[in-house]
Amino acid sequence: MYTRFCAALARLCLKVGVGGLMLLIAAVLYQVIGRYILNDTPTWAESGAVLLVLYVTMLGMAVGVRDAGHIGLESLLVLAPEALRLKMELLIHALVLGFGLIMAYNCAVLAQSVWNYKIPTLGLSEAFKYAPPAMAGALIALFSLEHIIALLRGEEVQPSWH
Amino acid sequence: MALTILCVSFTLLLLLGVPVAFSIGLSSLATLLFEGLPLAVGFQQMISGMNPFSFLAIPFFIFAGEIMMYGGIADKIVDFAKSLAGHVRGGLGMSNVLACTLFGGVSGSPVADVSAMGAVLIPQMKKEGYDADYAVNVTTHASLVGALMPTSHNLIIFALAASGKVSIAALILAGIVPALVLTICNLVAAYAVAVKRGYPSGTFPGWSVVGYSFAQSLPGLFVVVIIITGILSGAFTATESASVAVLWALFLATIVYKKLTREQLLKAAAKAVKSTGAVLLLIGISSMFGYLIGLYGVAELTGKMLSSISSTPWVIFLCVNIILFVLGTFLDMAATILICTPIFLPICQQMGMSTEQFGIVMLINCALGLNTPPVGTTQFIGCTIGEISVGTVMKTIWPFYGGLIAALMLVTYVPAFSMWLPNLILN
Repeated sequence: MYTRFCAALARLCLKVGVGGLMLLIAAVLYQVIGRYILNDTPTWAESGAVLLVLYVTMLGMAVGVRDAGHIGLESLLVLAPEALRLKMELLIHALVLGFGLIMAYNCAVLAQSVWNYKIPTLGLSEAFKYAPPAMAGALIALFSLEHIIALLRGEEVQPSWH
Repeated sequence: MALTILCVSFTLLLLLGVPVAFSIGLSSLATLLFEGLPLAVGFQQMISGMNPFSFLAIPFFIFAGEIMMYGGIADKIVDFAKSLAGHVRGGLGMSNVLACTLFGGVSGSPVADVSAMGAVLIPQMKKEGYDADYAVNVTTHASLVGALMPTSHNLIIFALAASGKVSIAALILAGIVPALVLTICNLVAAYAVAVKRGYPSGTFPGWSVVGYSFAQSLPGLFVVVIIITGILSGAFTATESASVAVLWALFLATIVYKKLTREQLLKAAAKAVKSTGAVLLLIGISSMFGYLIGLYGVAELTGKMLSSISSTPWVIFLCVNIILFVLGTFLDMAATILICTPIFLPICQQMGMSTEQFGIVMLINCALGLNTPPVGTTQFIGCTIGEISVGTVMKTIWPFYGGLIAALMLVTYVPAFSMWLPNLILN
């Protein structure tokens, strides 16, 4: 049940991320068109793209935790005996889970603290800059927990989109 | 004491197998806790490190490379390279080097390069009687050139790590001659091994076939022209050039070559989102790490340590190369660039090396690491395609390593290799 929920959530994250990537390309190209064809550079395009890329990549980064997209040094892990390897893998996922929770909490605190400040040219609250890492932190924690449950059950987490 | 906590916890986490980005993040958080600083300071550094507009070029370059990989451009480039060099002794090996160089220019990624070119050329070479270790070594070494090409997102990562001390246009130009040097070294190594093993030569198909296959591959290769001319003329920023490159790649793959399916496009986009996420996290977290490195004066300490060994620039450069190479064998390319640039760039600058030259030296070292265990990503992909063990490939890797190290030494000790073109064009 939890695995199915996480798989659906990861797929949704990637779909939103892909949509965001297309929007990003469109925003940057519109900036070029605005400058050279419309003779009117849109001021929102650059800062909008910089904000949007945070959402796109934070989603990708969180899904990377689920789909083993983050590179680490696995040599010692491979060499360890099976019982020890399981404990090491559990510890790794627990550490990543802890990092996710700390990131979610601290970025939420930062978002709250800058709520009244506006991003120039966009008119949006600065909190929108800290919302993606807060959300990504929570997703990292959820996906790490999924890995821990799968390890304890002797199962493997299947990548969401491959 | 705080610096010890930072370094020791980072090393332990890395050895445990925690992904690099999280190892950096957790060790930085542990250090902040020890110092009694609020953890939010670290995350503030992380977010501010993710902000520059030029970062946007990274997802675009990765996406364009993915489209190029699926979009039929690779086949055209292989045909052109084979028509050009297939008649030389060990012709398929030489064609492989040329094809990887050309596709590296288009994709800007050694991993995409070895995946696309390796999938076509390694089985073909094996079928025509070439040994699997030779086929894999030629492909994995030739694909490294992609890291120095104008489409390389690692150039952008270096520019970010150098904290705006370098112009992206100058950096792009600085990589072109070293990329050619690396290609020549690869060609020499591939030829020497081919002669020693007595590999056959093919027949020259004639200039008309060369011309035809060149014309077929030209639209794909044009992406490099878009990026270079766009940035150098000032018409586009690096980010805008990269977005135009995506549009061009899409146009070629869907309308001209008609190879890219909707499913492949979505897969390429999803892969770009995930890869960019991993890179962005590293960039952000490295800003947190960089903040602490700056706080404890790690660059100055390392500089003092190196100057106690020698005050001669060539010895210092050699030491820096050895450290970068060793770290590059353990860490991912982006991680090595982001961690090492703030530490070693000031030292090398003091010894008279320019930022652009240092960037190219750094990228060649990281490229060497991509072909060396334990974290040899391109080597692992090549071995998987060639159905051969890493151990077997390592036994015959030395001529190819020799070529790479020769290129690295030339770029390190002769600044003109990297600086002639930027000086000529950008004054």
